[in-house]
Amino acid sequence: MRRRTWFQVAVGGALVTVARAQEALPKHPRDLVFAKLAYDPPDPADYRHELDSGAVAYLVEDHQLPLVTVSMTLRAGSYQIPAESAGLASFTGSQMRSGGTTTRSAREFDEDAAFLATQLSSSIGSTSGGASVNCLAQNLDASLSMFFDMLKNPGFDAERLEISRAQTLQGLARRNDRLDRILSREFSRLMRGMHFTTVQSTQASIQSVTREALQGFHAERFDPSRMFFSVSGDFDTADMLRRLNEALAEGWPAETVEPGEIPAPTHQPEPGVYMVDKTSRDVNQSHVAIGHLGIQRSHPDAFKVRIMNSVLGGGGFTSRIMVRVRSDEGLAYSAYSQFQPGTYYPGLFRAGFQSRNATCAQAAAIVIEEIDRIRNGKVTSQELDTAKNYQVEIFPRFFATAGQVAGTFTNDEFTEREKDYWKHYRERVSDVSAEDVLEAAQQHLHPDRLVVLAVGDKEAMLAGNADRPEFSFESLAGSTGIRSIPLPDPLTMEYPDA
Amino acid sequence: MARRTALLLLSLPLLVASLAGQRVEVEEFTLDNGMKFLLLPREGDPNVAAGWISKFGSVNERPGVTGVAHLFEHMMFKGTRTIGSKDIDRDLAIIEELDALRAEIESERAGLLEKQRRGLIDDPDDPANRSPEHNALLERFEKLIEEQHELLVKDEFSQIYTTNGGSGMNAGTSNDYTIYFINMPSNKLELWFWMESDRLADPVFREFYAERDVVREERRLRTDSTPTGKLDEQFESMFWQSSPYGWPVIGWPSDLNAITRAEAMEFFDLYYAPNNLVASLVGDFDLEEVKTLARRYFGRLERGAREPGAVRTREVEQQAEQRLIGNAETRPQASVRFHTVPDAHVDEPALIVLSALLNGRTGRLYKSLVLEQKVAVQAFAGVDGRKYDGSFILGGVAAPGSTPEKVETALLAEIDLLAREPVGERELQKVKNQQLAGDFRKLESKFGLMLQLLTYEALGDWANINAFSDRIQAVTPEDVQRVAKRYFTETNRTVALYYTKDGTGPPGRMPPGRPRPPQGGPQ
Repeated sequence: MRRRTWFQVAVGGALVTVARAQEALPKHPRDLVFAKLAYDPPDPADYRHELDSGAVAYLVEDHQLPLVTVSMTLRAGSYQIPAESAGLASFTGSQMRSGGTTTRSAREFDEDAAFLATQLSSSIGSTSGGASVNCLAQNLDASLSMFFDMLKNPGFDAERLEISRAQTLQGLARRNDRLDRILSREFSRLMRGMHFTTVQSTQASIQSVTREALQGFHAERFDPSRMFFSVSGDFDTADMLRRLNEALAEGWPAETVEPGEIPAPTHQPEPGVYMVDKTSRDVNQSHVAIGHLGIQRSHPDAFKVRIMNSVLGGGGFTSRIMVRVRSDEGLAYSAYSQFQPGTYYPGLFRAGFQSRNATCAQAAAIVIEEIDRIRNGKVTSQELDTAKNYQVEIFPRFFATAGQVAGTFTNDEFTEREKDYWKHYRERVSDVSAEDVLEAAQQHLHPDRLVVLAVGDKEAMLAGNADRPEFSFESLAGSTGIRSIPLPDPLTMEYPDA
Repeated sequence: MARRTALLLLSLPLLVASLAGQRVEVEEFTLDNGMKFLLLPREGDPNVAAGWISKFGSVNERPGVTGVAHLFEHMMFKGTRTIGSKDIDRDLAIIEELDALRAEIESERAGLLEKQRRGLIDDPDDPANRSPEHNALLERFEKLIEEQHELLVKDEFSQIYTTNGGSGMNAGTSNDYTIYFINMPSNKLELWFWMESDRLADPVFREFYAERDVVREERRLRTDSTPTGKLDEQFESMFWQSSPYGWPVIGWPSDLNAITRAEAMEFFDLYYAPNNLVASLVGDFDLEEVKTLARRYFGRLERGAREPGAVRTREVEQQAEQRLIGNAETRPQASVRFHTVPDAHVDEPALIVLSALLNGRTGRLYKSLVLEQKVAVQAFAGVDGRKYDGSFILGGVAAPGSTPEKVETALLAEIDLLAREPVGERELQKVKNQQLAGDFRKLESKFGLMLQLLTYEALGDWANINAFSDRIQAVTPEDVQRVAKRYFTETNRTVALYYTKDGTGPPGRMPPGRPRPPQGGPQ
């Protein structure tokens, strides 16, 4: 049969350097001449297969190493769970792998996988769930049999569930320990309000999870007609299709239900400066996040926003926030902005850093200044070129391995990404102009809506830096003042009155 | 069931039969100046994983400049005579002036540090404690920084790579080596040769003092602000009595406040000469072209005036068990650590097999401590083989109702069992099967392979990536028993028990009848 390879590359002529080994070196990198690289992304149609059950599979062969990976994704997530059962979805995901099957005890299942050196995993997140197997090609029979046994007949061993429950409860008790975790949790609450993404498991909800509930969630969700498979490695496509069709034909839960819509958040964040006082350790560093609501992936400005954010704070060492907060002032090790578009509803804009307690206000002021600056003037042509070139140049990296090709196309179909997204990706990047960036900044960055959240030693942050008294959180907060968020009881997630 | 058993039996000889196919065949190539290249062309996407390593790290520092290897790594991104400045002559003059001013500031600071030593002031960095002369110096310093700022082409080094599609550019410092890496589009590989040889030939450490502040923030982020960061650091430094492995890679705070640019340059001159460097490329490139580029660009570097030589100070033999008892905002837990052997020592494979027997869902620790005794919710073992010395680490997190002591006792019982009874054939074969599959998995990522070749070479010889696998397959039950008996002794042991700090959570109180450990630790 025709062996497809996922890499299609043509470099136009050998590197020109060979002949001039003895010549003087180019004085500056701009004097280097590079061969053109012609690269066409793989076409999803070449790898897409519909299975008899109605499931979809992307199969990408790669025979360089005798390994096979099969991953399955489906619509199962915590969004389908009421708040009082928070934890049920993730328990179901983890216990499918940990709890054995109805034909093999948990211990036998683990021993068999370990002896075969086969890696099996399963998990359920907020909007998707799935499982995967990675094995030596010669152990494919036994490994796939275990994989589908796990998906069809999870045993949910009671003892393993209790161990996992104990570990989870212990973890809950510790969730006010780390500044970064407190920051993420509270920023999410400020942005999303009441939403499935901000629901926290509690001692009560974790204790309420029963083995029967896990079985029930599995039986509702694991519908072989709604699965998405991503397969890569050392296999034969026709043979793999036969195996998948056989495995999907029977033995699945009979009474699955519709996955249901993913609810979009409706909360409007309240702008202002918020602080969480966390002083139980003597630490001279606090963590700060600054942001507001963002855009959805399908928004027509998505590419403009991406380039804009890359200049602002998403482009690593060369972006403005990094240069000013870290490189110029030495105020932080990490300083960034993210403008991650949401898949199902608008995502978030979030900038942030960690800095000495005394210099947090100064660093925050710089970040806000940069947000203003990119709305009030065009980016330089070098900034624009750097951000755009990077996106264009790294494009082949998105398809660097067979696993990435299969995984990307599977995820695209699962999340209903627009067709031909990759085909036009580089043009859409190249088309972004400095005017577009300015417009995107004015349209999608909102200094008047910023939420500033600082977690750490409140007193020391408020005291500020004696060497730079012009910066303070009070002045950032203005007339509304600084609002305090207390730490919740980690087991009940009840917040004392501030 | 019968079918499954047949398959499992079948898989064993098959696994062994496939042993031959996975050797990493690297083209080795050395320039006249001593710089070595490990080259591995691989088909696939149009990209090359590129990196180089200096075979020196924090173990090569001395007290007073701890952290200089890592701070130096940061400085390598600040540009060169060609990259990073609009007016290199004025830039270099300012750098000299800044150094001179800094020396004066340091002598002012020395006075404050002395006052602090006498208990006259708390914080030598509090502006209120500074003299007017001190403030004047700081002001002149700031003015010069502002002037220099106008001359800089900010972060030009990163900008050039970024605009050309170099991705994942970064570097890392460990106890034993310092490594610099990036992914390059294959048509732009020459840029990598230009940029890396330029910064090795002619680095300029501009913005040194701001970058020193960045590293101090990095230290706060990684060590100070994590619940167990400072305790872990103290455990490490108490474990190593005389070895330079005892100080943290990121450096002690006192040294980070004081390291000078000249000291960083000294480190560079000795440890970054081409005869101490190894580069590796893995991916889509032509061998002969790359050799030409290597000669052309890196060939200009001059061999170092003297060879650095091995670290002289070795770990002394431990004479008594050591214990650290601490309180932290964390789950109650125990760590047990033994001095063992350096990387690539003949006993290392047996110790690695031993750790694999203990680890994972089917490992002895999970089965015994988690499933059967229920004293822990998780437990692990690991080998830390460094260039000059090594250790074996066991750890576990106490289950609700259990204590760090119970975890410690159970961990020790497991290694005691390994010393007393030979491990079964099937259990051993399981570990070897996983190693064989791992030999393939480790080849999946070109980037990962490049990093492995460099780190193997830095610790000894890249070819150990192949030899390692054979050595694991050759380990016998007797080997495992022998190393367990030899290294897991009481006087060779250092133990850390962490309790949950009062008022920060329910589980893991100190058991009654023991003196309470000091609160907060000696920071």
